Amino acid sequence: MKRLLAVLVLATGLSLAQGVVLRALMEDVPETRIIEELLPRFERETGIRVEFEKVQYAAMHDKLVAQLLAPQSAYDFLQVDFLWAGEFPAAGWLEPLEPYVKRSGFDLSPYYPSMLDLVGYYRGTLYMIPMYNYAMGLIYRKDLLSRKDLAEKYRARFKRPLALPKTLEEYVDLSLFMAKNAGVAGAAMQGQRGDPNFMEFSNYLFAAGGDYVDRNWRVTLASPQGEKALALYVRNIQQGAQKGALNANLDDTFRVMCQGRAFSMITYWWMLPQLDDPKQCPKVAGKVALSPVPGGAGVNGGWGWAIPKNSAQKEAAWRFISWVESKPIVRERALRGHAPTRKDAFQDPEVLKKYPYYKEAERIIAGAKKVPIFAYTAEMEDVVGREISLAAAGQKPVKQALQDAARGLEGLLKKAGLLR
Amino acid sequence: MKGRGTGLLLALPGLLLLAGVVGLPLLYALYLSLTDYTFLKPSAAFQGLGRYLDALQDPYFRHALALTGVYVGLTVGLTLALGLLLAVLLHQRLPFRGLHYLAVSLPMLIAPVGVGLIWKMILHPELGILAYLFGGRDFLGDARYALLTLALVDVWQQTSFAALVLLAGLRSLPKEPLEAAYVDGATPWQAFWRVTFPLLLPVLGVLLILQVVAEVRTYDLVYVLTRGGPGTATDLVSFYIYRKAFLGLDLSGASAMGYFLLLATLALTALYYRGLTRA
Repeated sequence: MKRLLAVLVLATGLSLAQGVVLRALMEDVPETRIIEELLPRFERETGIRVEFEKVQYAAMHDKLVAQLLAPQSAYDFLQVDFLWAGEFPAAGWLEPLEPYVKRSGFDLSPYYPSMLDLVGYYRGTLYMIPMYNYAMGLIYRKDLLSRKDLAEKYRARFKRPLALPKTLEEYVDLSLFMAKNAGVAGAAMQGQRGDPNFMEFSNYLFAAGGDYVDRNWRVTLASPQGEKALALYVRNIQQGAQKGALNANLDDTFRVMCQGRAFSMITYWWMLPQLDDPKQCPKVAGKVALSPVPGGAGVNGGWGWAIPKNSAQKEAAWRFISWVESKPIVRERALRGHAPTRKDAFQDPEVLKKYPYYKEAERIIAGAKKVPIFAYTAEMEDVVGREISLAAAGQKPVKQALQDAARGLEGLLKKAGLLR
Repeated sequence: MKGRGTGLLLALPGLLLLAGVVGLPLLYALYLSLTDYTFLKPSAAFQGLGRYLDALQDPYFRHALALTGVYVGLTVGLTLALGLLLAVLLHQRLPFRGLHYLAVSLPMLIAPVGVGLIWKMILHPELGILAYLFGGRDFLGDARYALLTLALVDVWQQTSFAALVLLAGLRSLPKEPLEAAYVDGATPWQAFWRVTFPLLLPVLGVLLILQVVAEVRTYDLVYVLTRGGPGTATDLVSFYIYRKAFLGLDLSGASAMGYFLLLATLALTALYYRGLTRA
């Protein structure tokens, strides 16, 4: 009798799950396709079908906001960029995940603290599960760094051997040197105002020892370190970067680097396998390497999974999230080229064998710093990006641009209630 | 009287639809602009004209407004001049006329985002043909050229519409005044400026209004080509308002700015109507 009951319950559960369809808006990138390949397995195991609507990054935020404001969201779970990881919870759009984690016994310990800080917790409450990391590092051309003629010229000019730079000044010096002597741009730079130049500049800021805010959200951007960072950034974009850098975005810099027309780029570490792919970039494959941003910390970036408060299928959504973030699936994703956020995947021997540079990536993630994440992070990118762009275009002196950016940031922090 | 009632009745469905699709959002935006509504704090406390004052005190909004003024002047002026030239040329007896029509109307048929992407590649400082011809000039990344470049791309697309409208205008002009001018010994140049052009003025006027309204709203090209940069060189007002709403999450502020734009466009239209009725 008991067995019959169990079978009945199981059958009802399965038939209830049958016909459940979860929808999500996902960025149209290879990583999404990797997860998509694994979806039939989830459907076989749970009877829940998952459908992805794939769009370009630039279209995601507006689409999500429209759905999150609606009485019921068309998306049952979300992929949240770290830039929205303050805005969405602050607006009350996300479901707190602690009850789900407790109920299902989901283990958070394999995640890097820097990742949980970035796309996990918001002001002490867990709203997201880290999904993907895109911390920034330096990608450079090994072959140019070991060219004899360049090494001699470099030594004659700087009285030190040509090597991977240790500080931000050294890096900019090297970039300008390469631009002058190696027949390539010293750096492929993404100077388009907004997200591209904000993210790029933030690496310079952190590498120079500066930061946007202190622990109490007081703005520290217009510091001597900040000034040094912006001056070096402007110098590099004006003298070391490729033509058109002031209007370039990530795709443009990738093309420049892929065609072998630049020595280096400060970019997301997952760019390395793209550039190292002989089919995609035959001119530079085998010649590129990854390292942390000279001077130390780079910018941390990432995506997290979340469930909108107005989702109609929260339990099923959590089932998907806990499945896709389970150890075997994360490992499977990592082996197929999806950047992980869990230590066990980074340290998995098979994963490391396939992607030896994950060692460097792990160093980058462990040392990465985050830009201020709060309700108006997206607007902060716009405001600060505008000032960086004005300075880079030579339309505003460095000091003035930095002060204006700091003032703009302060206004946003006040608006968000973080500063008085 | 009965006829008028039937007319109203027949127009009612259309009017209702218009009221629903255009009127309601306009009223809602007006309401929002008088509150402090944001996506993060949808409380909507009454603010009076506070958000309008905020907008006026925002130096970057004022900059965007002024820049848009320059941009509209530039694009509309060039579009009308080039459109008129093309229309007059197409009005001649040319061989392969169909082919010319097709070539002239093609830009109009492409979505603005497509136009932006095509020109982005043409203007690309490393890969683009134009940059190659002009010695690697960085048209969009250099603050000195960016606005003009944006305007020229826009003119490239808008001219085809202007040319077709003006061509239709030319076709519908009465022939007699022109014949009379020639009988009186006018040169083609004189005939055009003294007879054809004045007769074409009402069409040009309508086109002027349509173009001004279209250009004030320019958004897609900025989005695709420059994102308002370098610096604030191409930060046109529609793009600014969009960012206010969707990056700043400030719907009330954006609505107030939108109303400024609406009022400016309405004022221009009203001015034109007055000119037209007086004439």
